[in-house]
Amino acid sequence: MNIVVAMKQIPDLQQIRIRDRKPVLDDVPFTFGNIDKNALEAAMQIKEKIDSQVIVVAVGSSELEDTAKEALAAGADEARLVIWEDGLESSQSARLIAAAIKQLDAIDLIMFGEGSGDNYSSQVGSRVAQILELPQVGYVSHIEFQGDVVRLTRSLEDCEQTVEVKLPAVVTVTSDINVVRIPSVTQILKAGRKPKESIEAEDLVTVIPVPLIETISNLAPEMQRKQIVVKTVQELVKVLADEGFGGRG
Amino acid sequence: MDFTLTKEELLIQKMARDYARQAIYPVVEKIEKDNRVPDEILEGLAELDMFGLVIPEEFGGAGAGYISYVLAMEQIARVACGPAMIISAHNLGLGAIANFGTDEQRAQFMPKAAKGEHLASFAFTEPGTGSDPKQLTTTAVRDGDHFVINGTKRFITNAGYKGPLVVFAVEAESGQPTGFIVEKFCSGYTVSKPWDKLGWHGGDLVDIYLKDVKVPVENVLGKIGDGYPILQFGIAYGKIGMNSVALGTTLAAYEEAVKYAKEKTHRGQPIAKFQAIQLQIAEIAGLYESSRWLSYRLGWLANNPKSYRDFAREAALSKFVVARNAQEAARIALDVHGSYGLMQDYDIARIYRDAAMGPQIEGVVHMQQIILAGDILKG
Amino acid sequence: MAGILIYSEKTNLTLELVSAAKQMTSGQLYALAVNNDQQAEELSSKGLDVYSINNPGLLTADVANTAFALKQVTDRLELNTVLLSSDRRGKELAGRVAEAMNAGCLTDVKGITVENGQVNFIRNALGGATVATQTIKSPERVIAVSPRAFAPEEGTGGGSIQTMEISVLATTFKLLETRRKAGDTVDLQAAERLVIVGQGVENQGDLTTVDKVAKALSAETGCSKPVASDKKWFSEDRIIGLSGKICKPALALILGVSGQVQFTVGVREAQVIVSINNDENAFMNKIADYVLIADLHDALPELAKALA
Repeated sequence: MNIVVAMKQIPDLQQIRIRDRKPVLDDVPFTFGNIDKNALEAAMQIKEKIDSQVIVVAVGSSELEDTAKEALAAGADEARLVIWEDGLESSQSARLIAAAIKQLDAIDLIMFGEGSGDNYSSQVGSRVAQILELPQVGYVSHIEFQGDVVRLTRSLEDCEQTVEVKLPAVVTVTSDINVVRIPSVTQILKAGRKPKESIEAEDLVTVIPVPLIETISNLAPEMQRKQIVVKTVQELVKVLADEGFGGRG
Repeated sequence: MDFTLTKEELLIQKMARDYARQAIYPVVEKIEKDNRVPDEILEGLAELDMFGLVIPEEFGGAGAGYISYVLAMEQIARVACGPAMIISAHNLGLGAIANFGTDEQRAQFMPKAAKGEHLASFAFTEPGTGSDPKQLTTTAVRDGDHFVINGTKRFITNAGYKGPLVVFAVEAESGQPTGFIVEKFCSGYTVSKPWDKLGWHGGDLVDIYLKDVKVPVENVLGKIGDGYPILQFGIAYGKIGMNSVALGTTLAAYEEAVKYAKEKTHRGQPIAKFQAIQLQIAEIAGLYESSRWLSYRLGWLANNPKSYRDFAREAALSKFVVARNAQEAARIALDVHGSYGLMQDYDIARIYRDAAMGPQIEGVVHMQQIILAGDILKG
Repeated sequence: MAGILIYSEKTNLTLELVSAAKQMTSGQLYALAVNNDQQAEELSSKGLDVYSINNPGLLTADVANTAFALKQVTDRLELNTVLLSSDRRGKELAGRVAEAMNAGCLTDVKGITVENGQVNFIRNALGGATVATQTIKSPERVIAVSPRAFAPEEGTGGGSIQTMEISVLATTFKLLETRRKAGDTVDLQAAERLVIVGQGVENQGDLTTVDKVAKALSAETGCSKPVASDKKWFSEDRIIGLSGKICKPALALILGVSGQVQFTVGVREAQVIVSINNDENAFMNKIADYVLIADLHDALPELAKALA
């Protein structure tokens, strides 16, 4: 089985600092989003049961050459990278990812995390499925294969749906689907020797799609809380009552 | 001179950091209370190849080199020193076998140890001596196809875990200190309860009682009388691990101090706004950075061995600087915490105790300085 | 002038979308109901012009086909803007519909402003660390609006229902079963008041007292992620924060939470935040209106008694 896992390179959120309410992204190293890693882990768990080739596809800056090693260390067999230095919004990413996937043979399953680590807009999987005219199932928390049909648990807020669809298909997974394993030293060292192919975005598509979203501002929210310290439980109950949250008594 | 870390090194560092945070941090209190590292942690570390990180692939290791080793160990020690101490002592014993052992000995003892199924130990210290081979009282008497070893060893890490023990004894016939490989828990091998230490809980220091322990002649490490060079090797190579543990402690102290300075308020502002605290944070940063590059450099030297003498000198130098920096950084970081630093609820209290261990363990500070001065002033 | 198509499988969410749409435009709004006559009736009774699709071959779980249906509706009605809810159903649909329409798309929108004729959308970004104001540059737009970001439209009567025929793509998609989720189905996001248990509540026995406090305050109980995922004291649908529910209660009483951003993003829009913590340096205290430094094991029974 040929499985594509599409992953988005993001700045390591844990290392982003806020200065004057602005996020400072300089010198923040890149990584992949957590749910993207769940998607890759899901692919690895399939690979442990069914003979598969797992190909990671990612679109982003040239930093991807290094970042991709994380995915290869997690067990992916190869990486296909589309290099584009400027920022991309979802509709652009989707076009480039779909174009990269079209270059691959006989893909059975395309997996995404349900949302990227930094923007979490959850569009790209659906967009890619539409471009490739494939059925899709989102918010998947369980995957089972039965021949050429895949049975999936789609996890919604109020219910779980058991869905079946024939491959090829696009699946987005939730973080509940698995716990991402930490790769060992040996796996990390092997990553550098796995095949990694990069293509410039301009060589992949004739026209780079224009961004359809404009960001006007992106700032940390103001923190304007009163921070009034009360000394006793009695005092707390009184301020709660004053605010209109009296107890029953 | 390229100071950048490769992606592989960064990923190995991240691996250790993530594992320490996810698996070790939640059980730190338990480790402190029981003075024992839970088996699941040792298994988890083994699965990550932490027990074979520097061991060549041909013996079942990962062959990742010493820079990766220091980076990973630093991240583990940052959270808990016990597991890091276990790995360090393990690599000391295994390193001696890798360097001085025959092909047969290496093939026999290294594979399981590289996978963490066995833990290695290095036993020189006795109640009477920590560094002087002439004072050794453990004896090895030849009897046909084996030696009979009798003696007591003190403060030996991993002595309570199965695996190979590199033990130093005076070989009776030659009267020379000699290294032997003993399978721990063979007949005649018993251990004491672990010593109740000030810090580095979970990494045990244990006394070993060797009573008529039979060791095949094939288990002599190197040649009869090679005790001294093997000990020298151990003294130097062990510092890589020791530096990493102290470095991890320094990093922890640094991070705790910065975190506290930003959160604790005084008169409506974070204390980070006050100069006294700022000076302290700068001090700690300086201590950490200098420790860091000395530690990484020692790892680099181990990867690129040219002169053993240079390595030994660097090992001694880095050990006393890094260990003392750790203690100083912890002291200042505790100071930043004020009275809260005394409360065991805060990590800095444990870090302070852990930092006290480095300067006294595996060769006290003064000993390192004597070794260093001896080399500088030679001739 | 192109109008707005509104669609959600849940009627209460559709009504919230109407309020959101009215912030964007005073133009025509159309609501869509799919295989749901009851919803069509309810929406038209609130004054909406409803298009009702009834096609047993169309499964709303099949996002590919549902998007195909919506595209037929927008084409036929010549609409360039689609509003969906940003619940999971709506979010998954948004990207597919947007791609079909060549539209720019924004999801998890929690606020809408109009400046000089340009409609701007407000949403959380960077894992909750920042708030972004963004606009869609294409004339075609798909917007998924966060549940509860807008009050539901109250409207009374005067609506209409028209049926619409659409075609369905051949598909191998099958919905085998639908199961209500195991565990309680509490709706934390609808709760006016929340009591939230953090790791600072050290004894599981104290949870009975927490319950008493919650009852006395008529509050629902939630928790930070570790309390559900690691300690397993609550089911995961009680998690407040980035990996759980983002809430906007009138009161959030927060017990023993240190205040990492993955949690605080779940409560920071509460009207009143109270933090009880034994650590005066906990970051949570900085984003609270009222702070009580106390040992929770002692304070909780006292609080339960005082409120009862």
